[in-house]
Order: sequence, then C-alpha cells, then structure tokens
Amino acid sequence: MTKLFNSQETMVDDMIDGFVSAFPQVERGKIDPRVVVRSRARKNPDEKVTVLIGNGSGHEPIAMGFVGEGLLDANVVGDVFAAPSADLILDGIREVNGAAGTLLLISQHSGDVINGRAAIMLAEDDELNVRGLLMYDDVASAPPERRQDRRGAPGTMFIYKILGAAAEAGLDLNGLMALGEAVRDRTVSLSAAISPGISPLTGKPMFKLPEGEIFIGMGVHGEPGAGRMAYGPVNKLVQTIVDKLLQDRPIARGGRAAVIINGMGGTTLMELYTIWNETRRVLAAHGIEAIAPMVGSFVTTQEMGGFSISLLEPTDQMLAYWCEPSDSPAFPSISLLAQEALT
Amino acid sequence: MTIAQQYFSRLLSRIEARKDELNALDAALGDGDHGTTMLRGLTRAAQAESGMGAKAFMRASGGAAGTLFGLVLVAIERHLVSDADLPAELALAEARICDLGQVKAGDKSMIDALSPAVSAFSDGDLDAAIEAARQGCQATIALHARRGRAQYVEGKGRGHQDPGATSIVILFEVLRETREGQ
Repeated sequence: MTKLFNSQETMVDDMIDGFVSAFPQVERGKIDPRVVVRSRARKNPDEKVTVLIGNGSGHEPIAMGFVGEGLLDANVVGDVFAAPSADLILDGIREVNGAAGTLLLISQHSGDVINGRAAIMLAEDDELNVRGLLMYDDVASAPPERRQDRRGAPGTMFIYKILGAAAEAGLDLNGLMALGEAVRDRTVSLSAAISPGISPLTGKPMFKLPEGEIFIGMGVHGEPGAGRMAYGPVNKLVQTIVDKLLQDRPIARGGRAAVIINGMGGTTLMELYTIWNETRRVLAAHGIEAIAPMVGSFVTTQEMGGFSISLLEPTDQMLAYWCEPSDSPAFPSISLLAQEALT
Repeated sequence: MTIAQQYFSRLLSRIEARKDELNALDAALGDGDHGTTMLRGLTRAAQAESGMGAKAFMRASGGAAGTLFGLVLVAIERHLVSDADLPAELALAEARICDLGQVKAGDKSMIDALSPAVSAFSDGDLDAAIEAARQGCQATIALHARRGRAQYVEGKGRGHQDPGATSIVILFEVLRETREGQ
C-alpha cells in the first residue's frame, strides 16, 4: 500500500516540523530536536512539577498532540513503532526539569520500560529530581491478580490528563505519584480489531485476520489478543467488551464511569459515536451512569480498524482535573456531561 | 584521538568483522539483527566526541539492546576518559542491567558473560575477567532462555551460544587490545 512520505530516514522529523509549525503552543526542544515542548504559558519549573512521556511515532496524535498548558510539558518522539532511547528521554527530562521535579510517564511495553527506567537512572546520576510512573490498564494482557504485568492501553490517557491538570494546579511530585497510581488502579481498557494497519516501514499489513472475525484484546502493535469472535452487530460487541471490563473491575450500581472510546485510525467517527452510545446503554443496564466521554481517534496504529473502550471510576477530584480545559493541539474538550456530574 | 575514541574505533572494526557471525547466532534465538544493531550504534559511537561515545551508541542502536549494552559502554568509557574505577563501574552496570531487563545469571543472556567477568575483575585483573567472560559465554550453549525473544523459540535456544554474551566478550577483548596498543 502507498503511504505519503519523503523518505523513511526523514519521515519522523518531517512530521515533527509540520506539527510544530502548525501549532504555536509547541516547539522543538532546545537541547534535543526530537523533543516537543510547550512554547508558551510555561510556569517556572522550580515551582511546577513537569510531566512528560516518550513513545514511538506512528500512533499520532498521541503523545505530542497532548503537549500544552494543563497537560504534558514535553513528549520525546521515537522512531516509527520504536521506543526512544534512554539518552533521548534523558534529554527530554533535561528540557523541562527544575527544582520542583519531573514525572516521567511510562506506558508498559518492554522497550519503553527499559529505556524509561534507564533514563531515570541516568537522570539520578546527574542529581535531577525525577520519578517514573508505570501505566497499565489492558485487561486482555494479564489476569487481575497480575495487574502490574498489564500493557499500557488508551486508558492511560486518563492519567496524562488528570496529572497534567493537577501539576498545573500545583500538586507536588509525591502527590502526583499517588494520584497517578490511584487513577491507574481505577482504570480498565479492552480493544477490538477488525482490520490491520499498514506499517510505514514495510508497506505491509501488521497482522492477518480471518474473514468475518474480530480480534478482542489486540495490542497497539498488532500483538495477539485474548480471543476472537464472529463479526456481528456492534451492540453485541460492545456488550461483550463492557461486561468483561466490569467483570474485571466491578463498579457498584448507582456508580459512575468516565469513558474513553478510542479509534485506532481506520474507524470513522460515525462508528465511534455509535460505539459510545451502545457503551452508555450497556453501562446504564448495569445501573452505572456513563459520564465525561472522550470520543475520537487518539492512540492510533496507522489505518488499523478497531477501537477500545476504557472505563475510569473517578473520585470528584479526578473528575474535576479530567474536565479542566487544556490548550494542547489534540486533546479534546471533555463533554459537558462531566460538568453536570460535578455540580 | 583519545584512548576512549581509539576504543570505539577498534570495537567498530571488530564488530564489523564479526557482524555476520553475531547475526547468525541471533537468528537461532531471536530476530537475527544483533550484529547489525551493534554495528549501527558503534558507527555513531566511533564518530562521537571523546566522552560521548556510549551515549551516541545508545541513541543510534535504539531498543532494549541499545540501552543494556550502552550501560556497559558507559562504564568502560568513564574509566577511559576519567580513570573511574572500572570494576566498580561495571558492577553498577551489571546491577542496572539485571534490574532493567529483569534478568539474572542462568537466563541465557549477556549477563551470563558479564556477571562472572565482574566477579573475576574485583582485584583489577582484566585477563582474569576476559577468561571468566569467555567461560560464561561458552556455558550459555547448554542453557535454555528465560527472558527475551529466545524464550519463545522451539527448545528455548538450547544448543546455541547467546549473541549478547558473545558481544560482552568482544567488548572486554577490545579493551585489552586498546590498552596494549597505547
């Protein structure tokens, strides 16, 4: 399949050039051009904890699209589907670190974990005040008794946003770590894939799926999922996914759930709004109110067809931070449904 | 050229000569690119300013291996640039690799060469460290893999020498040559 790029060598830098020139609130780093940083409304990093993440490219808009006031201070951009190296992440930490400290978010995938933790070790050698928060939420990748072995999935966006807003509001590093762990422990995600993405490096589909079947629990790079099911009406599929999520982490009747419906790149908004609507109905049938939805394609794998559903049972504080506006280029304004839940 | 730059330059030539052998060892256990990955990193390391070689290596080789081997190269480069205590630096690198990679001796990995070398090196005898690394590397042939891609290979890689352990031996051999070449 044909993709639009100049060359494989320049494709990531060409993308970053385009991104920073389109959005004045972000720019390339001064220490390292592979880091995207906030260009305005930055508070003194000696007073505000800075928050950043590194990730492979090819999953846009995450995470450089979430750099901005009230969200991330920086994103370290790796090569296509490859975790950035430890020293590149260290450069990202140096771009934003101050006396108040820096929180490195790490989505649990082996390359990201090894390089993220190595970057923290190197930063500590330089006596920088840095901590790392491992993020994991994919119920398909390990059973509940081994939650800490799960992969990072789109539910980690709850952590990005809530911690970004909390850091802007002045929470200190220990407070942010505790809040991040609490959000993580209240978040579950599960995905479904109906067609593969095409790797820009090979031009080939990233997995094969038999005609008429859907993968449940697919990873963001096409790693095998928990199982398959026959293709059918979307309400059945959503029912299956939401039931599995609530089985894994129950929410009591009368409770509420913040919801992320994430498209993987090849799924239309027409489909995603339908999926949100079915999610809302299934939750209501369980006696749970669906609030503050974020619906769109945020963590993508090129043109992979499919979606994930993430649920967070929020505290009032988490919900307030979730709804705070931010000026990042790609994070949506969260629905007023949340504002109603707050008042 | 500083001694640290000489080290990376010699290491680049050695890995270049053994790239196909390292790739073949990796092909039996993983995705067959260990030699190519090391070469990519060392090409940049050999061009870097003195003291920046290990970091250039990490950046260019990428992935998990870039970081794990980069930590060993950081230790050697610190020693060559600022005369840091090499056995202590290597012991720190070993501890960090075990921690980051969630790996221990006997898992069939680079640690099976590095760990005995660090133990034998405690009194500063590089020859003893190289001999210990070689024996440790040889011993990986009989092991089955518990970490990395090799754990999914049929027979878990038993009967094949570990490519990462092989590279560790080369890192130490070239260090001795660099010292002797002074």
